[in-house]
Amino acid sequence: MKRFLSLALCASLAILSACNKSPESSASNGSGGKKLTIALMPKSKGNAYFISCKAGADEAAKELNVDLLFDGPTDPDPAKQNEIIETWTTLGVDVIAAACENKEGISTALKKARSKGIKVVTYDSDANPDARDFFVNQATPEGIAETLMDEAARLTDSEGEFAIITASLTAANMNEWRKHIEARLAEKYPKMKLVDTKPCDDLKDKAQAEATNLMSAYPNLKLIMAICSPAVPGAAEAVKQAGKTGAVKVIGLGLPSENRKYVHEGVTQSVVLWKTKDLGYLTIHAAADLANGQLKPGAKEYNAGRLGNLKVEGDSIVLGKPFIFNKDNIDQFDF
Amino acid sequence: MAASENTTPRRHAIGEVLFRHETILLLVLIAEWFYFNSVGRRFGTLDNTFEIMRHSAEIGLLALVMTPIILTGGIDLSVGSLLGLCAILFGKLWRDAGMALPLAAGCTLLIGALAGGLNAVLIARLRLPALIVTLGTYSLFRGLAEAITRGVDTFTNFPDSFLALGQQHFAGLPTQVWFFLVVTVVIWLLVHRTTFGRSLRAIGFSPEGARYAGLPVERRIAQAYILAGVVSALAAIIYTARLGQAKADAGTGYELFAITAVVLGGTSIFGGVGTVHGTLFGVAAIAVLDNGLVHARQPREMAGMLTGVLLLAALGAGALPKLLAKLRGPRHSSAPPS
Amino acid sequence: MLRRFSRTGFQGGRAPPHSKTQAPNLLLRDFDLMQKYSREISVAIVLALLLLVMAIAAPAFYEPQPLLSRLAREAPTLIVACGVALVMVAREIDISIGSIFALCGVCAGLLAGSGWPLIAVCGVVVLIGAVLGAMNGALVAGLRLPSIVVTLATMVILREGLRWKQQGAFINLPDAWQWFGLSQRGGQWTLIACALILLAVLAWVSRNLAAGRFLYAVGSNAEAARLAGLRPRWITLAVFVFMGALAGLAALLNVVQSPQVDPKSGTGLELKAIAAAVVGGVAVSGGRGNLWGVFVGVLLLACINPALTYLHVEAYWEKAIQGAIILLAVIFDGLRNRRSTN
Repeated sequence: MKRFLSLALCASLAILSACNKSPESSASNGSGGKKLTIALMPKSKGNAYFISCKAGADEAAKELNVDLLFDGPTDPDPAKQNEIIETWTTLGVDVIAAACENKEGISTALKKARSKGIKVVTYDSDANPDARDFFVNQATPEGIAETLMDEAARLTDSEGEFAIITASLTAANMNEWRKHIEARLAEKYPKMKLVDTKPCDDLKDKAQAEATNLMSAYPNLKLIMAICSPAVPGAAEAVKQAGKTGAVKVIGLGLPSENRKYVHEGVTQSVVLWKTKDLGYLTIHAAADLANGQLKPGAKEYNAGRLGNLKVEGDSIVLGKPFIFNKDNIDQFDF
Repeated sequence: MAASENTTPRRHAIGEVLFRHETILLLVLIAEWFYFNSVGRRFGTLDNTFEIMRHSAEIGLLALVMTPIILTGGIDLSVGSLLGLCAILFGKLWRDAGMALPLAAGCTLLIGALAGGLNAVLIARLRLPALIVTLGTYSLFRGLAEAITRGVDTFTNFPDSFLALGQQHFAGLPTQVWFFLVVTVVIWLLVHRTTFGRSLRAIGFSPEGARYAGLPVERRIAQAYILAGVVSALAAIIYTARLGQAKADAGTGYELFAITAVVLGGTSIFGGVGTVHGTLFGVAAIAVLDNGLVHARQPREMAGMLTGVLLLAALGAGALPKLLAKLRGPRHSSAPPS
Repeated sequence: MLRRFSRTGFQGGRAPPHSKTQAPNLLLRDFDLMQKYSREISVAIVLALLLLVMAIAAPAFYEPQPLLSRLAREAPTLIVACGVALVMVAREIDISIGSIFALCGVCAGLLAGSGWPLIAVCGVVVLIGAVLGAMNGALVAGLRLPSIVVTLATMVILREGLRWKQQGAFINLPDAWQWFGLSQRGGQWTLIACALILLAVLAWVSRNLAAGRFLYAVGSNAEAARLAGLRPRWITLAVFVFMGALAGLAALLNVVQSPQVDPKSGTGLELKAIAAAVVGGVAVSGGRGNLWGVFVGVLLLACINPALTYLHVEAYWEKAIQGAIILLAVIFDGLRNRRSTN
């Protein structure tokens, strides 16, 4: 025991002596020929949506000659995003670009990063406004919700029952969308009714099972709105297997590549998304320009490389409106 | 899941193995440190060390309090879910019931104790298998957290004085580290310097033997689980302060990390053998690995994989001496018949 | 290993009744049978009650097509639950089955996409599962490491490794693959039949053939089994290999139910399977439990979520109810044991 304690003591002394006692400021502007380091964080890894964003981000990184770090949590614990961001802060990256799973939670870490001189942009889902410099907005949560709800109404003639399949009941951004969907529903479509909301734990198979049960438990169901991307093909397969293609419509937020088959077969009517590659591209562009001073707060317009001039509303750089993929245009996209 | 019968000669052998196990773990920790220091420019700084401590405070608490439980030959899969439940109840008491934060914190600790008490009654009193009971409470606690918040509700906008607990420093160290140190010392003393701890080990070796020896087996086991409940609640409060938000899915997956850290630290999952400082090194090894890999610009998945490999390696290293002794010749190393 | 045992006592691994009660009193014998199977019977009663409630409050539950889909979807779970029940009978545990399941599913998708024929893919995937199970088994039986920790480590390694490789991308299956090339109805019945036949065979083998008896022996008391001439470590290895193979088979049955493979499928499968086994009466301490109980356990747990939907209950009660059922099942067990030992 004594031997062990002395060993432990020696080890701790060795470790502490190896520590640099002076942490330099973590901010470095891109001057002096040093490569910028931009740290890009998805909501979670293993998500095909963010992989397609990353493709655009890689494109921009190559074009602008910046170092791109891509990492994110692999499990759903809310604190994991914070931990990675805090470690990046210590590491001393130049810009952090994060898609925020938990708005308030992540703001804690982002504010800390900003206080150390690191620039912060958010994309896809925002943090608190005082925690970041800019928000790269492909579409506001309201815009996404409105597009979905309006599309649902269009397909059901603004009347009838529909159900939502979400990822998990605690997923922050989906809860935001659900809130706005319900608001839109109450405001504009009194003859429509949201009968149930089921989580699919981000699993396609579970979404398929839930959709099967929903169609049977609510015989008057006219539409399934799948707001998490694995749920769209899952719900579509369920509708197809139930033989209710066309009778129960399927729309959702998903990738064209995963839904192409169902859209062509008429099972899924519309897939709402945006050009994810452009989102990634724009995010890295904005991040780099923020770091080297070309993008300043108060700007009204922003020139984003191959995307041209984009509008800046306050501190939101808007990519555009959500895009509706359907039978006519889905083949033009390969993500 | 108690270990098979033991005789004194085996205890010596176990002592050797354990000692070696912890030393190896310490060496692994040092090796990790030096490697990441060389690869990551900012890894060896004081700032980063504080970061590592802050990130592993809650999970370290869970691992620490898991040690006495595993020492008795039990297990508690519900600590992560209990963290989530306590976090949202804490938020609810403060926001919806209007309690002052210290009062809400006290009530949360009480709720943690009650929840631990549920495990305690089922496992100690009714003698139900710990794995399954805590599997049930793992779902139950998380389910209650989701039901109370409907999954949607989160609690934020805590006052800065509270957030300082998780985000600021106090007398040189991050605030939560002080709590962590206090709990570490308390649990270390409990396990290593009191009859309470000795009785836990005895129960782990043989519950029946301990009972015949006059130890209050049920009471000890119950106390271990209730302690786990209280510490989970404390971890929940610290988590909320660190994140600035209380959500129903807080602490997802923490129980597996805690078990990994405990086993890595040399505690036998069958009970009877193990140390609190071993668990501490286990927590440190995994936390340093996690943090270091970000500095080394490796993806998150690598952290998970390496942790798994590390766990297997640690177990294998522990089993190696026995295996070698067996291969060397069964005649030489046979213990006297029991 | 394939010798038949005569059907005396040892039903499902429980202690045989005292020989005195084998008098030709039919009532007593029936009562004994009921006692031996009381756990399975009580779970079956709970299931029956639930089904009755559904019949009255939400008859749409029995609509044929969704019901068939639900049963087909539970077929892989049943297979995996049988496997993990056997592992638990042998006094071990395997929490890596979800990761093996996911990995096998992805392999199936990749191989199918490369144009391999159906039979070959099936064989290879089951083999991959068996190999992964063998890895677990080698560490547990060979190095005598605790199974919960070994399978925890392999679960994490496989899961993270798969995530790293796939990054969540779906794999498209060739068209001919869905339902093994059969019609939807035919395919679903085939899957259900597969699972049930496997269940029946395993239930019979575990009670009547030496191989099954050996599992119960090893699970009850490995040392006694060794002294009786068995080789517990080989048996343990075998049961892990078998578990892996079953996970591979289950993955196949899951993959053919839709045209895309989700690399995340199998998340939470180990929890479902172990909970079903426990609810069905399999003891974690080994040596006890039979597969018909597991069958009822799988059905019961599979009904919770649809029941909530059909009864229009909010979704966020699911986990709490699941946890409560597991606890109730285990408490019931414990109380019964106390009563019998008192």
